[in-house]
Amino acid sequence: MNNIRTKSSRRLILLVALLAAVGTGAVSAQQKNDPKALQIVKTFEDKLNLEGVDITNTFNLVQKKPGEADRVLQIKVYRRDSANVFTLIFQYPSSEKGKGYYRNGNDLYLYLPTTREFVFRNRKDDVGSTDVRTDSFGRLDLESQFFVSYGGQEPVAKWTCDVIKLDARELDVSFPIQRWFVRTTDGLPVKVENFSASGTLLRTIYYIEYQPVASGKFLFSKLLALDNLQPGQKTFITNEAISTDPIPDYVFSKAFLEQQSR
Amino acid sequence: MLQFFPLAFKNIFRNRKRSVTLGVNYAVVTLILVLLFAFSAGATQNIETNLMRSSAGHITISGQYAKGGRIYPGIPDTKEIVDIARNTLGSVEAVPRYVLMSTLYFKGLSKRLTFVGFDTATDNGFEDQLNFLGGSWQAFLNDPNGIIVPEDTATYYGLTTGDQTTISTRSRLGAFNTGIMKVDGIYTSNNYFAKGFVLAHYDFLQKLDLAGSDSSSQLFLYLTDTSRLNYKRDLLMEAYRSAGFEVSKPTSDTEALEIVTSASTKYQVDKANRDRVMLRIATIGEVLGIVRTVLAAVNAVGSVIAAIMLFIIAVSILINLRMTINERLREIGTMRAIGFETTGVTALFVSENVILSLIFIGIGIIAALLVTGIFAYLVVLPSTGNLGLFLDRGHLVLIPTVAGVLGVAAVITLFTALFSYFPARRGGRITPVEALNRVF
Repeated sequence: MNNIRTKSSRRLILLVALLAAVGTGAVSAQQKNDPKALQIVKTFEDKLNLEGVDITNTFNLVQKKPGEADRVLQIKVYRRDSANVFTLIFQYPSSEKGKGYYRNGNDLYLYLPTTREFVFRNRKDDVGSTDVRTDSFGRLDLESQFFVSYGGQEPVAKWTCDVIKLDARELDVSFPIQRWFVRTTDGLPVKVENFSASGTLLRTIYYIEYQPVASGKFLFSKLLALDNLQPGQKTFITNEAISTDPIPDYVFSKAFLEQQSR
Repeated sequence: MLQFFPLAFKNIFRNRKRSVTLGVNYAVVTLILVLLFAFSAGATQNIETNLMRSSAGHITISGQYAKGGRIYPGIPDTKEIVDIARNTLGSVEAVPRYVLMSTLYFKGLSKRLTFVGFDTATDNGFEDQLNFLGGSWQAFLNDPNGIIVPEDTATYYGLTTGDQTTISTRSRLGAFNTGIMKVDGIYTSNNYFAKGFVLAHYDFLQKLDLAGSDSSSQLFLYLTDTSRLNYKRDLLMEAYRSAGFEVSKPTSDTEALEIVTSASTKYQVDKANRDRVMLRIATIGEVLGIVRTVLAAVNAVGSVIAAIMLFIIAVSILINLRMTINERLREIGTMRAIGFETTGVTALFVSENVILSLIFIGIGIIAALLVTGIFAYLVVLPSTGNLGLFLDRGHLVLIPTVAGVLGVAAVITLFTALFSYFPARRGGRITPVEALNRVF
């Protein structure tokens, strides 16, 4: 009887150990980057991260909400990906004029001209309460924030796309689960789905058009962001007056934001 | 002086019209002051009771914690904090709450609302404060994803019981998280502080906020003995300090109020760059500090009005007494001729005014008590808007205190005696010859 009990106990321990090993393996498989997916991510990051050039451009944002008048914002963007910094300054409407963001690495500050104070924000803050995140304007470094896996191919409009799934390493990113649809023809993302930690689709971003700004470097010139929790709410962005002229260093400072608001 | 009281009492209504006119002033001032102090005491007690039944304890603890160079909202070690409180203060009822500001989505509508998560097994603070217009408390208890929404919120969204809504929140860590919540009840509440909350299960909000199982956003401590609350709070602070927590108490009324109201996520850089838990501890007295300041201002305005009325009374006393003395010169002359001293005549006239004031102060007090009773039992006011702050089940809370009533009576009586004395003394100084000469 005792023998039987010992044998069953051993079996149970073995089974538990086996399950634990399988479980651990599954977790580590989940938390590993898929080399193919990572290569696709690196390729589009290389194209979209504009190291070596300074970019100045103006974004026009039109936010549409059902039953409400369209909201229009104009934002001037100064961007230097080599230093992982950008400065955004609101130019229109007059109620928002002078407001701006300054990002340096992971630190993002919102400048409020009315109170003349800088407010620390999550690095993926909404821009002017639209469906667009400030991180849409800066340098991408997805590998440092997410585990990357390959999700096969799916069509988006007329293009065949590789689907890349991102799972957050830490839950300090706005959308801890993301699906990026990357065009097989040129390796540029055309659609991004953003999910909450529990897996609900919150927003979908369509990169409608890109514009080359340097050799092998691209900047989106038309973007559509849809709010999936509020059907009908969307933000359309056009990118104008793109310039690659060098930007003075002082533009990437809090002082510049204060100066521009005067 | 007391020997003049019977005589003075007989003289009060010799000129009835004049006495009643002056007396009405006494009564009105008394009415105003008694009601004012009753309102102040009632408002303080009502606000304290309602606040303690919904969003505060005798001692309220809120907190934040620093980790990896960032500061996050909430208390991460609730059990340890409760244990320390019990070890330090003895018998303590500890009620943790999980409060989130999140957006609720339903049929294309969205709104940012305050969600209060409570543990239905240990925290029954809300149960007897809700009047269900739809659904039930039991349905909520049976449904871990259930919510009870205020009537206003239900009307805004067009919600009915059984509807499923989506909640989306930016969690304390920064990531968005979402959940599905079912409407298990629609309520109204007579408690001003409870009627705006969407009530949810503690665990649900905790998980939605991606927080650890020992996390809370506020902790209410209810003590059996509430005396020397500040001292007990200081003891508690010392105990937390010894356990390695960083502890502070509010330095202003606004800060104290923030401890029981703040729920919105604020992202901050940790300048100290040191992992730690920071607790802020406020007593109910401090939380109510801002209320007391507002009520003190109301009292001050009321007192100014009363002071103006007292000034009018003072002028009336002076005029009335001069006229009375002129009319009663023969009487003064006779009294002086049969041996009344100056002080006797003065005392008679002062006594007449004091007795008049006492009679009408009494009438004023009775009127104030009647008004209090009418508001307490008959008049039902709409509890919408800020008026709800002062209402208990629709009735304005007026608590006239013995000290308040006696204080008002004493001040007005002394005031009367003071302003009667000078013209009365002038009357008393008239010599018998002069008095009788002026008459004949």
